[in-house]
Amino acid sequence: MPQFSFLPQFPLPANPLALFGVLLLAGALVGELTRRVLNLPRITGYVLIGLALGASGLNVLDARMLGFSRVFLDIGLGLVLFELGRRLDLDWFKRDHWLAAIAISEIVLSFGCMFGALVWFGIAPLYASVAAAIGVSSSPAIVLLVARELNAEGQVTERALNLVALNSVAAFVLATMLLSWIHREYHASWTVMMLHPLYILLGSACAGLLASAVVIALATWIGKRIELHAALLVAMVALMIGAAEALKLSVLIVMLIFGALVRNLDSAHALMPVDIGRFGQVFFIVLFVTTGAILKVGDLIAGGAIAAVYIAARFVGKSIGVLTFAHLSGIKPGSGGLLSIALAPMSGIAIAMTYSADSVYPEFGAKLATIVLAAALILELAGPVAVQFALRRAGEAQEETTWAR
Amino acid sequence: MGEMSFKASPEISMGVELELQILNSRDYNLARDAADLLAVLDKNGHPGAIKPEITESMIELNSSIHLAHDTLLAELKEIRDAVVRAAAQLNLRIAGGGSHPFHKWSERRIYPTERFRHLLDVYGYLAKQFTVFGQHIHIGVPDGDAAVYLTHMLARYIPHFVVLSASSPFQQGADTHFESSRLNTVSAFPLSGTMPFVQTWSEFVSYFEKMRGFHIVESMKDFYWDIRPKPEYGTVEIRVLDTPLTVQRAAQLAAYAQTLARYLLKERPLPPTPDIYMVYRHNRFQACRYGYDASYIDAYTQQQIPLARHMLLTLDVLTPHAAEVRSAAALEGLRADIEARRSDATLLREMYDKLGSLNDVARCQSERWMNGSQASAGAAADNRGA
Repeated sequence: MPQFSFLPQFPLPANPLALFGVLLLAGALVGELTRRVLNLPRITGYVLIGLALGASGLNVLDARMLGFSRVFLDIGLGLVLFELGRRLDLDWFKRDHWLAAIAISEIVLSFGCMFGALVWFGIAPLYASVAAAIGVSSSPAIVLLVARELNAEGQVTERALNLVALNSVAAFVLATMLLSWIHREYHASWTVMMLHPLYILLGSACAGLLASAVVIALATWIGKRIELHAALLVAMVALMIGAAEALKLSVLIVMLIFGALVRNLDSAHALMPVDIGRFGQVFFIVLFVTTGAILKVGDLIAGGAIAAVYIAARFVGKSIGVLTFAHLSGIKPGSGGLLSIALAPMSGIAIAMTYSADSVYPEFGAKLATIVLAAALILELAGPVAVQFALRRAGEAQEETTWAR
Repeated sequence: MGEMSFKASPEISMGVELELQILNSRDYNLARDAADLLAVLDKNGHPGAIKPEITESMIELNSSIHLAHDTLLAELKEIRDAVVRAAAQLNLRIAGGGSHPFHKWSERRIYPTERFRHLLDVYGYLAKQFTVFGQHIHIGVPDGDAAVYLTHMLARYIPHFVVLSASSPFQQGADTHFESSRLNTVSAFPLSGTMPFVQTWSEFVSYFEKMRGFHIVESMKDFYWDIRPKPEYGTVEIRVLDTPLTVQRAAQLAAYAQTLARYLLKERPLPPTPDIYMVYRHNRFQACRYGYDASYIDAYTQQQIPLARHMLLTLDVLTPHAAEVRSAAALEGLRADIEARRSDATLLREMYDKLGSLNDVARCQSERWMNGSQASAGAAADNRGA
């Protein structure tokens, strides 16, 4: 029918932009419904609609479509990590040693508890250690975005965000160091065993340092023009995500270090405090919808029991670590418990890490996935609720429901 | 009537209240951590008194009663250092200044006490807009009649205090073109203004009883006057000052008020006249708007002169009294500033011109306040860029 060639042909070809629109719209609407009807955080709604559209549900977002939406997920995640890095105030840890003590103890204890529990339940030490390393992380996206949604501000919020940033770095460094062990298990050469983790960690750190130095230099040259600074940051975040992927570095470490150094090295305060989250909001929605689509309810059945053990051990480890020193660190009684709850959501990065292990040794990735992904699914859904509870209970949400005018 | 019996004070003592800003260390906007900060201060212990104020972004420091400038300054420094130490632990910054340059009043939250909630009920958005920061100076007087006399006579000098403390040129993210914009916020309240022209304490008490009979006020606290007698402390309280950027300036201003009060009470140079209040609002506006460039109308001579000149003339008159209360050095400092036309408001505008953003202005306000305090490790790190 050459005379009708101006008409589209069915099935319609997939279009990444249309896909972005659909994900955003679906996420925004279901998020709002979740908020209004269930009084739960919007983020839980984003993940739910993602699950429904993904492999566990209607399978609209199949592997090919997820390939398209990958770029939106990356931008959303990159912005979250950069923003979180900017919240990390290293001076604070130097000034308040008890806060540093909280960070170290909850990292060490949660790793120890998860590793011990998994080994006790018969998981091989190598898998147990990598799973425990991944579990050290708390979700930057969930904690940061729930705090944004509630407009929360205060000691629990600020401490939670700083600890989440450190947890993410610690988890990644631990997991990367364990790469050596995985390489040995799979009989890789000695040089690979040493150089691979070293390349990822040092390379990522250098990339983050370079990006922050460039941004500070450009911001100094531009002067105090907030709209230009916003463009500069978004451009640099996108550029560095792409560069990190191309160079097989860690997007997580690059972005966190970029964000942290932009703040901590900018002694002349050249860069203005741009609220990059306003720009990022739409990407954050797509980030969670896509995360939901990647997760599979099937994993829950496969790894349910061991995931429950893993989650419990993680929570116990983090709580003991926080509660041991919280009362010495200048926060009100009770805030320590809320801080532990706010650290409950595990990182969506956990998924990314599992898959990145996957790409080196697929067999290893598959075994690890049964432990970690079920836990990730549970905590993607329950995590936002936990954070919302903690920040509201701490009185740090800007809601004033009782006597607002 | 118990509330209105006037308690005699040691003559001519002084005390200072300073309302301070609590900032975050990220973008130097106002934070909401007053309750946590007060809890840490309670635990650590501190001299003087430290209290909550109407919104969660403020705290108030109170000195004890002093007879001389040097002991007052020493105590203010100690309280400041205690607050700065506690703030450092919570990663907060503390700043002086009459206004925060860019916070949005609608984002403020009322500090959760019965009284402050009541104020929000009564005044609506005015309560949140009241997130401005003042210095109050108490001057001890022997009796109620002296308090009434001093209140009227100090009204002539209100422009001096406005100009010397002015540090609120920016509000809500914009330059107000005022040296002290804070007083405009105070003026919105229905019970702001000045004490009525009564002549004796008993006359004042009957005025107060009448107002209470109308159910307009319940206590002296409900009058937001520029100067008010405070019977339970036995003082006259001057309330027009912006919180200066440093405790040094706050102590100088208290010493000025003390010396002035001594001159007025010892010499009783002039009888009060209602004309004081005819020129009052004009003079006050001129000072808020133009600072050292204001003009000043003298109610007694009915002449208009530059305010800066009136201030220098007053300092000359005070010289013998300054020697008596050991405030000569403090007053010399003020004289030098008047002659050089230096004020905190000018300084803040210079910072803005130099650094280019109001975040930087707020940061410099906090650095200036915290400077000199050993506990300000964070501020010291920030200073490298200042």
